[in-house]
Amino acid sequence: MEAATADQDNEGVALDQDDEVQVDFAQEALDELDRALSKVKIDASALTMPDKRKKLYKWQCPQSYKRSSLKEKQLIALAENFWRQYTHIYPDRKPLLLCPLNECGVEKFVSTTLRPTVLPYPVLFNWEGCANFVSDFLSLEPLDPPTDPPRHLYSPTHVLQMKRGSCFDFSTLLCSLLLAAGYNAYCVSGYATKDVCLLNLARQECPLLAKNEKDKTEKQAVEVLKYTVKPPRDLSSAFERHQEEMRQKEAQAARLKKQQEADRLQEELERPPPDPLFGLRVHCWVLVKCGAREVPEDFFIEPLSGKSFSTTDQNFLGVESAWNHRNYWINMQDCRRGCTDMSFDLGDPIKWEYMLCGDTSQSLLLIPSMKKQEFEDDDEEKEESKVFQMPPSWVNELNISQQDMEMRFPGGVKVIQYRKAKLEKFAPYLLRDGLVTRLSTYHDLDCTEVCVVKEWYQHRNDHLEERELRKAGNITLEHFRRGRSFALKHHRYVTLTPDSDREMEFYSQARADGLARRVGKGLEMIEFFEDRPDFLFYRHILFGKHAKKVTIGEIAEQGHRPLEKVVERFHRDTTKPASEDVAERVFLVSEERIQVTYHRDQDRIIPAWRNFTIPQESGDTQQKQTFTPDMASTFQVDPFEKPSKNLFLYEMLMALMKEEEKVAQRIKSSEKEVRAILDLRQYEETNIELHISIYNTARNDKARKHREALERMAEEARLLQEEKELDYLAPFLAQLGDPEELTRQMALQLRNDCLAELKQRLIDKANLIQGRFEKETQELQQKQQWYQKNQPTMTKEDEDQYLAYCSDAMFRIHILKLRLNRHKDRAPQKYLALDEKLRRDPRLALFL
Amino acid sequence: MNKLYDTIEPSVVNEQMLQKAIVEQGPQGPAGRIAQQEGIEYIEVTQLRLHFLNILKIDNLWQFTSLTKLQLDNNIIEKIEGLDSLVNLVWLDLSFNNIEKIEGLDKLVKLQDLSLFNNRISVIKNLDTMLSLEILSIGNNLLSELDSVIYLRRFKDLRTLNLAGNPLCNEENYKIFIAAYLPDLVYLDYRLVDEKTREAAFAKYQYAIEEKKHNEAQEQKAKDEKEKLAKTLQLHKDAFVEYLDGPQLFNSMFADDADAAKLASLPGVPTLLESYLYPAHYSCTQLFEVGLSKHEIRQKEVQTLFTCHREAVTDNQERAAKIVADFETIRRQQKVNEIMNTADNDMVDAMIDQHNDEITHLYEALMTLELQLVDQLEDIIKDFERNITDMSAAFVEHVQGVYPLLCRDLENHHHEKLLEIAVATLERVAKNELEEELPDDLRMLFVDKDTVSNAISASHDTHLLKIDNREDDLITHVHKWLAEMMKTLHANEGSRNRNRISEIINYTDYVREQLEMVLTQEME
Repeated sequence: MEAATADQDNEGVALDQDDEVQVDFAQEALDELDRALSKVKIDASALTMPDKRKKLYKWQCPQSYKRSSLKEKQLIALAENFWRQYTHIYPDRKPLLLCPLNECGVEKFVSTTLRPTVLPYPVLFNWEGCANFVSDFLSLEPLDPPTDPPRHLYSPTHVLQMKRGSCFDFSTLLCSLLLAAGYNAYCVSGYATKDVCLLNLARQECPLLAKNEKDKTEKQAVEVLKYTVKPPRDLSSAFERHQEEMRQKEAQAARLKKQQEADRLQEELERPPPDPLFGLRVHCWVLVKCGAREVPEDFFIEPLSGKSFSTTDQNFLGVESAWNHRNYWINMQDCRRGCTDMSFDLGDPIKWEYMLCGDTSQSLLLIPSMKKQEFEDDDEEKEESKVFQMPPSWVNELNISQQDMEMRFPGGVKVIQYRKAKLEKFAPYLLRDGLVTRLSTYHDLDCTEVCVVKEWYQHRNDHLEERELRKAGNITLEHFRRGRSFALKHHRYVTLTPDSDREMEFYSQARADGLARRVGKGLEMIEFFEDRPDFLFYRHILFGKHAKKVTIGEIAEQGHRPLEKVVERFHRDTTKPASEDVAERVFLVSEERIQVTYHRDQDRIIPAWRNFTIPQESGDTQQKQTFTPDMASTFQVDPFEKPSKNLFLYEMLMALMKEEEKVAQRIKSSEKEVRAILDLRQYEETNIELHISIYNTARNDKARKHREALERMAEEARLLQEEKELDYLAPFLAQLGDPEELTRQMALQLRNDCLAELKQRLIDKANLIQGRFEKETQELQQKQQWYQKNQPTMTKEDEDQYLAYCSDAMFRIHILKLRLNRHKDRAPQKYLALDEKLRRDPRLALFL
Repeated sequence: MNKLYDTIEPSVVNEQMLQKAIVEQGPQGPAGRIAQQEGIEYIEVTQLRLHFLNILKIDNLWQFTSLTKLQLDNNIIEKIEGLDSLVNLVWLDLSFNNIEKIEGLDKLVKLQDLSLFNNRISVIKNLDTMLSLEILSIGNNLLSELDSVIYLRRFKDLRTLNLAGNPLCNEENYKIFIAAYLPDLVYLDYRLVDEKTREAAFAKYQYAIEEKKHNEAQEQKAKDEKEKLAKTLQLHKDAFVEYLDGPQLFNSMFADDADAAKLASLPGVPTLLESYLYPAHYSCTQLFEVGLSKHEIRQKEVQTLFTCHREAVTDNQERAAKIVADFETIRRQQKVNEIMNTADNDMVDAMIDQHNDEITHLYEALMTLELQLVDQLEDIIKDFERNITDMSAAFVEHVQGVYPLLCRDLENHHHEKLLEIAVATLERVAKNELEEELPDDLRMLFVDKDTVSNAISASHDTHLLKIDNREDDLITHVHKWLAEMMKTLHANEGSRNRNRISEIINYTDYVREQLEMVLTQEME
């Protein structure tokens, strides 16, 4: 017992000493920390904050945005020099856009603002995709004033973030994308018409409309063979014909004149008012030169609308300068006649003045071998090295998120006003009905009288792709993707009630009956089939009027109108002889007659036919009236052919009567199908659902829920884990009143308390073991004494019991001894470990 | 039982039996009544069942040409006969008879299902013509040779085979053997041939089968080659230049000429022959090429004519057909109307007149169209005739211009040279200067100058004759082809015209008749 306490005391002393040393270390560290802290404070005070948004952005700006590198500074000096010379030589030309300020207010040369970046979106791999993306993604901030280039030119990354910019921002972004896609692209600064500068498309035809017209005008010329027969001689009077022609020509001419007059008037009406700033409006667009990516000839891309123009287009009125990521050129050509006869051979030093000397200034049209030769001639490599190279771009890599790509338009919506048309575009999934594009065309220029509304949908569960509403006649035309029930393809209707006129087209290959089209019109229904094994291609059904008396039983059968006449037509089945191959079957249901017409033989002009009269049912015998030969009349094309037998005719009539029943059944099911389709459509229109692909992680609700559940579970597990790791400092902090921030004093006290507590506990534990040990030995001793006293009187049994007890007790004592020894060994380690932990503890580390 | 069978007389298929079978197996009910009234002709019967009739001899079936299904099972037939006229037969049942030999089935090329079950057949043979056979039942027979099954490989469509109850079924590898040699078989002896059997068959007989297949492929290839050759020859014949692309002409020239062969062994003659044959061959080949190209041009011309002819006729037909169709629909509607309102006799008369007028009008319209077409076609055929005659004449002229120049001149030249050599040799023979010995038959020629020159000119004449004959052949062929072509063209056109006119008249007569019929009904 004594030994144990002494040990503990020793231990405590040792620990205390240890503590002293460590505190000293901590003291030193603390001093350092103090100094560091004071430094931090200075840093923070350096920030000046303008408006909030910009500050936020600038905070994230990389260094290259805020500073200019040495090379950039050189470049800016060069540009300055260049500009001075320029203003000296051409004092009356407009100032050039060379080194505008970027979003951090630092001067940057325009070429270095271009940042070619390949983005992982396939649509951006060709120029159409890039141009459309830029025009869709950004919204325009017009230049102010419109006659001067802007003072600022933001980096493309900034523009992408803000989703708005001037035409210069548009061009810079587009040019960056095009350069990355491998095009030989240049930004061009110049002058353009008001419509172009302000993105006014109201005077242009909608491109979606123009495309349709193109499809129609395609025809093939008929080849005239050598032995084509001459047309039969025309026996009418040539003079009369001539006179008639003359008359018609005159009428035509008059009509044409009128038309022209009307056109002229219309044009006059539509012509825009003259622009006072015509020719002065500054604009920036993109030039794509031929050579790379199989571009056959130079063209402009107008970045605001995303359209391409030829380099001679009248909308572009002049060019000041052009640049790409390598060099900058000034146009030396006369722009009085716009761009009509301008050369874009940038290597021509008479027409284009380059800023940086070097191989980029050379004509890109030179043949490579010649270029090489020039290099060989040019032995002075030193001079080569002297040539100033354009420094790399200061802009970070462009980055467009998947979400932005999908949203595409600012806010997901874009409206473009065309001539007599309005185009609205929406991001997919933005609208609940899946609408992505709506094109409304109007009768008049002011866009008040709607003519046709065409809508395009995406991701609809009912497979609707297009809907066209013609105001004239109020006709709706819907187009569906493959995969609908009943394989519906087109549906043209006025209303969705079953009896109204409609026309449905189907994907005939997907249907078992090969139905391609079904037209319902008043009391008629026409069905067209394709590729049927029985060669049926046409069925025309004429219904009778509804029976007036409607009983309760008939309500269930409503819509099944009585048949009046059914015509079915068949293609030629070449395995049968023509005189046995049915071309047309007419079931005159109301007249109780059936007419069958056969196909014409190859060199015949008259088909064979058979007409049957259906035998009347004689009431009592329940049997069909016996067949008589005059029930069938036949016309045979070949007069020498044997007339068919009565048996054959009888069997045929029976077969036809059966067919008639079948046809009636089929017509009923057709009517039912129409009603089913209409019901389904109505239901779908009231409950529109969008299809979400299983790969669409952002929108797939189910998947998201699953993922969220997983995340939540993980979170819970983590919390549980945290709870397990109880905060060992908590009680001590509580003693100090849970202060928000610790002072050094407090931290030290905390640490000392904590360590003292541990020490106490370790000592307590050792004492506990000691206590138990003592108790155990005492008991054993008592037992031994008791044994020695009673040994003579004890039975064998008792003796055994005593011995067992002794060995047990000895074992326990031994264990306790071992435990105590181990505890003594490990206590200092534990103490040190805690100390270490305390030093590492995030709350205290700062102070120790 | 035996007694009962013995008492029944063996019979022959006769009139009475057939009549009975037809009535029994013909249509029943109202259709049967109609059929009875009309009578059924043998030629119309498609199915016939003649079983359990103790038939010994098949006979009297020659009228049933449209028969597709014939059942002769459970008789005592010993010999298959009298089935040659039943060419449309698809289904033939001869099971449970006493047949010993397969025969008399050669004409039944459309047969798909043949049953010879329970007979006494020992060899499968005489089935070569049934290329569309799908089901063969030949169980319970006396087939013993397993290899005889290989015979069935020729039936590409055979899917079901019944061999059960034959001695060959007891052989060890019976099933596997058949599965190996008839890989397309689906059912064998009432059971599906399963995948396991097939695998086993493949494992066991792989090499044998492959060899078999290889041989068959070789045969097929040889056959194809032969067909191809025949086709090319036909093409050359059509171009009138057959055998001109190779050495055939010259070979034939020398083949019929014994003296030339003898002379060929004279010193210097082989080189001479060489110098003669090479250009001759070359020129012939050129002629051949020209012939082929001209043929192509002619063919194109003919094709163009046919295309245009067809177009014109179809166009005309369509127009005529439209006129008729319109007329017919109006006629049908009016007939109904007429019946409805026939109160006034004058009205009826007026209607008759109107209808008659309409019919006449139709007749005229159709006839005008036809005449127009005839005119048009005549024009183009005339044009064509002129062109094609010109072409042929040009070709013939070309041949006549080139041919003598190339072949005859060469031949003459050759002849002279040969003569020279011969004379020189003769002199040397006379002087006994010849180094090497001449063959005896050649020495016979060189007895004197006349013999030699006679022999040489005879050979020359043969050659010339051959050349002339070839030329004549070519020219006559060209003329014959031309004449035949024009003849068929005119004939076709004539028959077309006649058909059309008869068709028009037939129709108008029919319409008139119908009108009169309606009228007479009205009168009554």
